[in-house]
Amino acid sequence: MANNASVIEDEVMAFIQMKASDDAAFNAMALRLFKHQAQFNVPFQRFCQMRGKTPRTVTHWFDIPAVPINAFKDLDLTCTPTSQCGRVFMTSGTTRGDVKGRHYHPSLRVYDASVRLNFERQLMSQKSKIRIGILFPTVDMMPNSSLAHYLQLALAHFGTPNSQYFMEPSGLDIEALAQVLQQAEKNHEPIALLGASYSMVHAMDALIASGLNFKLPTMSWLFDTGGFKGQSREIEMDSFYTQLSNTFGVPRSQCFNMYGMTELSTQLYDAGNSSTPSVKRGPHWIRTRVIDPISGQDMPKGERGILVHTDLANYNSVTTLLTEDVGIATDDGFILLGRAQGAQAKGCSLAVEDFLQAARV
Amino acid sequence: MTVLQFTAGYVPSIAHEDLAWHTLTYGAGDTRLEVKVPLLTPAQILAVSQHIKSAVRTHIKTMAVSDIVRAIDVAILRLLDVNHEDRKRIDTLLPIATGMDANMLRHHFSEYLQTFRALQLHRFIAEDFSNPKMLDEFQPRITGGWTKAVGADLVTHIWAGNVPGLPLWSLISGLLVKAGTVGKVSSAEPICASIFAKVLADVEPRLADCLSIIWWPTEDVDISSYLFQQSDIVLAYGGNSALSAIQNQVPVTTRFLPHGHKLSFGMVSTSALSVVRAKRVASQAALDIARYEQQGCYSPQMFYVERGAQVSPQEFAQSLASELAALAHKYPRASLSLEEASHIASWRESHEFAMLQNSGIQVLGDKQDAFVVVYSDAPLSLNPSPLNRCVTVVAVDSLLDVMPLLKDQRPYLQTTGLATDPETLLQLGEALALAGVTRICAIGEMTSPAAGWHHDGRFSLADLVNMVDIETSTEEAANQLTHYEL
Repeated sequence: MANNASVIEDEVMAFIQMKASDDAAFNAMALRLFKHQAQFNVPFQRFCQMRGKTPRTVTHWFDIPAVPINAFKDLDLTCTPTSQCGRVFMTSGTTRGDVKGRHYHPSLRVYDASVRLNFERQLMSQKSKIRIGILFPTVDMMPNSSLAHYLQLALAHFGTPNSQYFMEPSGLDIEALAQVLQQAEKNHEPIALLGASYSMVHAMDALIASGLNFKLPTMSWLFDTGGFKGQSREIEMDSFYTQLSNTFGVPRSQCFNMYGMTELSTQLYDAGNSSTPSVKRGPHWIRTRVIDPISGQDMPKGERGILVHTDLANYNSVTTLLTEDVGIATDDGFILLGRAQGAQAKGCSLAVEDFLQAARV
Repeated sequence: MTVLQFTAGYVPSIAHEDLAWHTLTYGAGDTRLEVKVPLLTPAQILAVSQHIKSAVRTHIKTMAVSDIVRAIDVAILRLLDVNHEDRKRIDTLLPIATGMDANMLRHHFSEYLQTFRALQLHRFIAEDFSNPKMLDEFQPRITGGWTKAVGADLVTHIWAGNVPGLPLWSLISGLLVKAGTVGKVSSAEPICASIFAKVLADVEPRLADCLSIIWWPTEDVDISSYLFQQSDIVLAYGGNSALSAIQNQVPVTTRFLPHGHKLSFGMVSTSALSVVRAKRVASQAALDIARYEQQGCYSPQMFYVERGAQVSPQEFAQSLASELAALAHKYPRASLSLEEASHIASWRESHEFAMLQNSGIQVLGDKQDAFVVVYSDAPLSLNPSPLNRCVTVVAVDSLLDVMPLLKDQRPYLQTTGLATDPETLLQLGEALALAGVTRICAIGEMTSPAAGWHHDGRFSLADLVNMVDIETSTEEAANQLTHYEL
């Protein structure tokens, strides 16, 4: 059978453009994609055989084998040959030396639609456009970063014409940022600042060092994503949002955190960070389970487990991903608790995590 | 839900109500355990140190080593009696505190205690002191002069909780050289040392004031640095980052004896790979892996197996997997934290992906099994596993080929479990010694070091004393100063 990639793509487009979907529709679409991926994504096919899970035996999306995100480092997980994939997003490669995970996209039609629809619903409920300031490199500076692409898309679709980047190849342009924020304050023009969590820290530190803080107009909001990744000082989440709120004069309820991964095509958002940790929610085309990593079964409600996402916008790679993130399931989403650190060695037996730490020194 | 309670620690010089107590909680499900540990103020630390130093002078330093051995022996004998209340308490509390299987703990704890009976202790002393009487009084040296081994007045022990009962090694070592002891128990296992101290005080009142068992939060550096200033020696077990933090607080004039991260492994030669022998070795290897869930510095994390015998390395790996599967019924694996479970799952999965890439890797057993055996047909450098019954079996053409594979881990090497014939034993021993290994033992004995072993290549007792020499010249000069005329 030929690789009917464009048919699949159209079906997924139609699915995510629906207002909502019920369990049956989600399941049907997930199984449709599983069949497609188990047929055309060769390493995934072997993985499914090894797990004894094939389209003939899997009747519910729960049973689709979850691919650990590390597999994106070793294998080309794609249905369309990599040579025919227009874009590849790469992970920053922080956890395993220089080996980067690669996520191939034949086109970004579905990816972009997923970003836009979801961004609009989660962040743009009050206005159709807002002045956007981006504290992250441009796509030109980071062509393989999915976040750079995401932010460019946000700016292009939801930014007023005076929106701009505050990132130079040499680093944050704090003077320009301060100027724009002062202007926004004066003109009572709401502004949205978007960036990686660590770039928000750099910005705060630089503004505080210059003795600056702001009271941005009502309806302004802040957006951070990705955590600190050793790129800035590590701050406990609660004090991070308090500091953000104090520096920019934006209430914590208007400080949004996005949870995304290079290996996904859909993002999850919280509804502000008045209190932390916040609940993350996604649109109808992604579902998250919280599992016991050994048995693969769902954890009882309220207990910590590892996150598994089934993202139907991932039509070309694999829908179902086993992350290294720890969370707790809630009725309509999950509380993100952070990355599972390797088992803390209790004594003098050398365990992998310590070994890696030792090797890094 | 049942909640058991236990008061840990041992501070004879301060009344119970004058101490602050911190509660540590353990267990999940139906049985929980609350352990109270004593928290001392800096003033109390000073009082305890001074009390111990003065008690040491009056009591333990005036006792003969043989008397101390006898006292320890009686205390150990009491703990070996599974019907005695003190032992019953250990058997009840340890499984809850550690999450490890009760039967495995009970069985192995008795074997472990056996290491500290009188006969073994005398041998332990003889290992480090050619003439054990030098711990009691000055002994003549063959080359002239006199020497006495003088134990430190105060040794501070910082224990890890990875292996239940681990504190007994250094605690007993300190007693044997007549040192005073302040021990800090680990939050992971505050039980054994506390019970032993109380039993010892009960059986030999002269030792009662010579030791104290306490606890403080690791981040409370005020307490630790204050205590280290009072100590002659600080002996610590733990991860390298924890040890380095401790080291920074130890004054230059205090001796620091760290026992950090270690990595151990097994080697199986063709001589042990007949059908009958291989099964026996695999069964012993499985025990070494299951005991203490590989948390010990001496627990094997990899096995190198020689090609060319009746049983191939791959078949050995399969046999090891079957033995681990059988053991999982007899001694179920300890309950895992989410982090441990996640770590094991991703370790397993990374090898499954290697399998898909035809790299000669094979993952044995099911995802749900309480163990993971990874087999590698290609030589692999020695690497740690995520513990909790995860092990790699690596095929090699000759065991001598293993040595270059150990190179990167040289600072971490400790025990090698070795199954080989008498002809190659010493040759392999020489090679392993050069590679940095400090202990070689039979497979099946890896987690039970012999009494008097050189832990990490060091002297357990001799490191705790100062050798005090009276040189020949003093004796000759004295002979010139008699009150009678010659």
